[in-house]
Amino acid sequence: MHIDPLEKKWAYAAVGIAGLFVGIILIDALFHGINAPSHVETIDSASLHLSEEFDEDNLGVQVDESGNITIRMVAGRYGFYPKHITVPADTSLTFRWVSMDVLHGVHMPMTNMSTMIVPGYVAQVTTTLPKPGEYPLLCNEYCGIGHDHMWSNVSVVAKEHWAAPGKAPSKGGKDND
Amino acid sequence: MNTNNETRKTRDALHDEFLKVWGNPRGWHALTIVNHTTVGIRFMVTGGIFFLIGGLLAMLMRTQLALPEQDIIEPKLYDQLFTMHGTVMMFLFAVPVLEGLAMYLIPKMIGARDLVFPRLSAFGYWCYLFGSLILMSSLVLGIAPAGGWFMYTPLTNNVYSPGPNVDFWLLGVTFIEISAVSAGIELTVSILRTRTSGMALLHMPLFCWYILVMALMIVFGFPPLILGSILLELERAVGMPFFDVARGGDPILWQHLFWLFGHPEVYIIFLPAAGIVSTLLPVFSRQPIVGYRWIVLAIISTGFISFGLWVHHMFTVGIPQLAQAFFSMASMLVAIPTGIQLFAWLATLWTGRPVYHVPMLWLVGFLFIFMIGGLTGVMLALVPFNWQVHDTHFVVAHLHYVMVGGMLFPLLAGLYYWLPHFSGRMPSDKLARWGFWLTFVGFNTTFLVMHLTGFLGMPRRVYTYQAGMGWELPNSVSSVGGFIMAMGIAMVLLDIVLHFRFGRPAGSNPWGADTLEWATDTPPQPYNFISLPDCPMRHPMWDQPDLQTTIAEGHHGLSEIDHGRRETWGSDPVSGAIREIIHLPGNSWLPFYSALALSVLCISLLTRTYSMALIAVVASLLLLLSWSWKNCVYLEADSAVKPGYPPLHSRTFNGPGLWGMVVTLLADGALFLAILFGWLYLRVVAPNWQAPDTAPLAWLPLLISGVLLTVATFWHHFIVRRLRAGRDDHLQGQLWGIAVIGLAHCCVFIWAWSASSLVATQTAHDAVIAVILMYQLFHSGLAVIMTALQAKRVAYGYVGKTAPYEIAVVKPWWIYTNAVFWLSFLAVIMLPIAWRSA
Repeated sequence: MHIDPLEKKWAYAAVGIAGLFVGIILIDALFHGINAPSHVETIDSASLHLSEEFDEDNLGVQVDESGNITIRMVAGRYGFYPKHITVPADTSLTFRWVSMDVLHGVHMPMTNMSTMIVPGYVAQVTTTLPKPGEYPLLCNEYCGIGHDHMWSNVSVVAKEHWAAPGKAPSKGGKDND
Repeated sequence: MNTNNETRKTRDALHDEFLKVWGNPRGWHALTIVNHTTVGIRFMVTGGIFFLIGGLLAMLMRTQLALPEQDIIEPKLYDQLFTMHGTVMMFLFAVPVLEGLAMYLIPKMIGARDLVFPRLSAFGYWCYLFGSLILMSSLVLGIAPAGGWFMYTPLTNNVYSPGPNVDFWLLGVTFIEISAVSAGIELTVSILRTRTSGMALLHMPLFCWYILVMALMIVFGFPPLILGSILLELERAVGMPFFDVARGGDPILWQHLFWLFGHPEVYIIFLPAAGIVSTLLPVFSRQPIVGYRWIVLAIISTGFISFGLWVHHMFTVGIPQLAQAFFSMASMLVAIPTGIQLFAWLATLWTGRPVYHVPMLWLVGFLFIFMIGGLTGVMLALVPFNWQVHDTHFVVAHLHYVMVGGMLFPLLAGLYYWLPHFSGRMPSDKLARWGFWLTFVGFNTTFLVMHLTGFLGMPRRVYTYQAGMGWELPNSVSSVGGFIMAMGIAMVLLDIVLHFRFGRPAGSNPWGADTLEWATDTPPQPYNFISLPDCPMRHPMWDQPDLQTTIAEGHHGLSEIDHGRRETWGSDPVSGAIREIIHLPGNSWLPFYSALALSVLCISLLTRTYSMALIAVVASLLLLLSWSWKNCVYLEADSAVKPGYPPLHSRTFNGPGLWGMVVTLLADGALFLAILFGWLYLRVVAPNWQAPDTAPLAWLPLLISGVLLTVATFWHHFIVRRLRAGRDDHLQGQLWGIAVIGLAHCCVFIWAWSASSLVATQTAHDAVIAVILMYQLFHSGLAVIMTALQAKRVAYGYVGKTAPYEIAVVKPWWIYTNAVFWLSFLAVIMLPIAWRSA
């Protein structure tokens, strides 16, 4: 197989440049700890009830001092907890999800609320639901024999009809923006 | 090159002579056949049966989903059904059938008499058959895998899926993949090294280009899944925590490894099917394909880009935005080469004078369906849209449009096109048209509506659904469509069965095709061609109308079979100039027995009877050794080679075996890189990654072991150089010396390992290091065994300066083993030291 010498030189140069870039990425990742942000928020799935944030009476819809709405929910075989929530339409909502066992997915049909819930991590989605109505929350990541029955309900009501649940100010839940 | 009429034997006499060497035995001995025509047909028939089984599973699911809240099938069985439907269609049907078709056609298209490693193809077939039977037995026993064909952990670990169900998948599929990888290696080397005289790369039929790229994709794409399956099985069986967050693993690693294979897999299936389209369209358009070079470029770029798409299966996992943007862009980019091919096909139709025979009908069906599948693919590549329909029935509809449209329709077109080649008879036009229209209408009824079901939010993999969601009507329509499609497939099947009895004889080249496979008899003889023609052109059958006759009368190359061995040309990978005569091995029980021993290993790992597994390992090793022993050089052949002929491959340093070894090492290297990727990934991402403060192994003994390995490698390199210079004195002693040093290396290595504080079941860190060490030891051990075997063979004259072939084949293995060692040393020892000081 004959390769033109000039072509060969260019090939060496190209391989060298690729090697340089890969090297820089590797050195940054391994020695300087510079990584693409990915799943920065972790949680121990085996002891959710002991964590401050996903403690049983801290779940559901909460409004903080500045009016931001956060919804904390737990997915577990086979349901989402709490089973029913009411949220306002046309408002920015931050969902924070954790799984207590295997991989789950959560999906509100006809909306952007869709994420995979990986055990060991917190999945956070911020979205706005424009249309009031009753929506199901479905598990779309196959999770075992009861996967079909894993769903709960969301009522989206018009902004002016929605009343913030009277609750103690929320605990935990760092914002990772 | 014998053109003298007086000395030339008659056609029949030549045929009888060739049949004596190439003939296939009957009865029980048919199990020994290694000929590519037989093996290819076996692959296709077996795959066809699994297609029917997979289809049956789909029909059961459609029955259950036809109406809301039915309980014809309980969820436990339903979960097994959809898992097995995906697994069967992907691993037991699509890949093997296309490989079988490629095995059958490639040698005939490139003017060779057989594939370059015939026993390997037979071995691959038996692995595929036995592995599939093991996997299917689980369905009969009611303990089939039920974790989905993607096997996401932690659902599939031993906490959430106890019992052997998941093990059937992991072990069975890994076993079947042996056949995929061996076919990948074999097809690559066959296409590159056994083309007939003068067939340069750019003279190859396009089908060969498609298969070449597919084969290389298999070589790079399957190892990550093989690794993933081994890791998950180790986690289940031994408790090594690769995917367990609590002990420093990460379940997302499985998804990366799976889709690193899973996305190229889609193109591994699509490319050969597109190859069928590019072969058939010009024939039925009566016009050479438009844009040959453009298509070749498109195939190669599809192969490259398809390895950069896998994360688009994981858009909802919580991947960083930068990565999402990158993979979204790459997913749209891959539509460009596919678009180029579509335009080339349309232009060929446009400029040609198309005739609408049955295969053409399926091709037009393909164009229609695949176009829709491609368009929904671009929709899914958009991240926000992807979020809305992730894991809904929209995705099910999309993937069936791509897979059925992009694979099944071209496959059936190809089946109808090559049916006269397989059997020598023509199918019935009437039944075939019924079959097509029922399948086409049924398919679209099922899956066009399913897009809507997905928009309405119905998730995948649910065994039933409640009334009142608006999902009832589309589901009923889909089920009815499914049954219409099943009737269509039944019609095709009936047609094929009946044509063996009632089809009219096809004669030679019934479609007026341009490629060499139609220059054989129909049905073909095991030797394909009596003489091997020069072929410096793209359309040999169009350019040389009497080619079939001149081949059969022995006017072309290599038409003597004087010393009773199977032979074909070995040629230059680029120009196709003849380089050597390749001696091919004949029929043998060894592939069958070796696959049998491996299936015993598979079953004993399934049942966790490890003593039995050990026996099976030893038996497999002995069988493989005896295989290598009998695969010997033909010592008397030199006197039989006529002057003016190229040397036998066993007398060269650069024969097909070396190419096979290098391609194998590419696959092996992909596996090793996947291990290193896993190690780095876990270190960077896993939340509970615990690396010890010190290097996991003492560096000094490891360094000594490495130096020994390097010495052995250099010595081996040195004796190959001496052989090239024509010196082989003390060869046997030197080979024994290398083996002993290699053995010493292994012993020091094992000692260093056993003195370390690694507990592979405790943390993911230790588990990954243990896998790297096992991988190293496996390679070192095999290097020693191979070298010892050769030292023994020197005494028999199988290895020496006249036959340097085998040593040249083993040399890259030593170099690779050495490279793996120092790379691992760098990663496992040097990096932790550097981290500590950093």
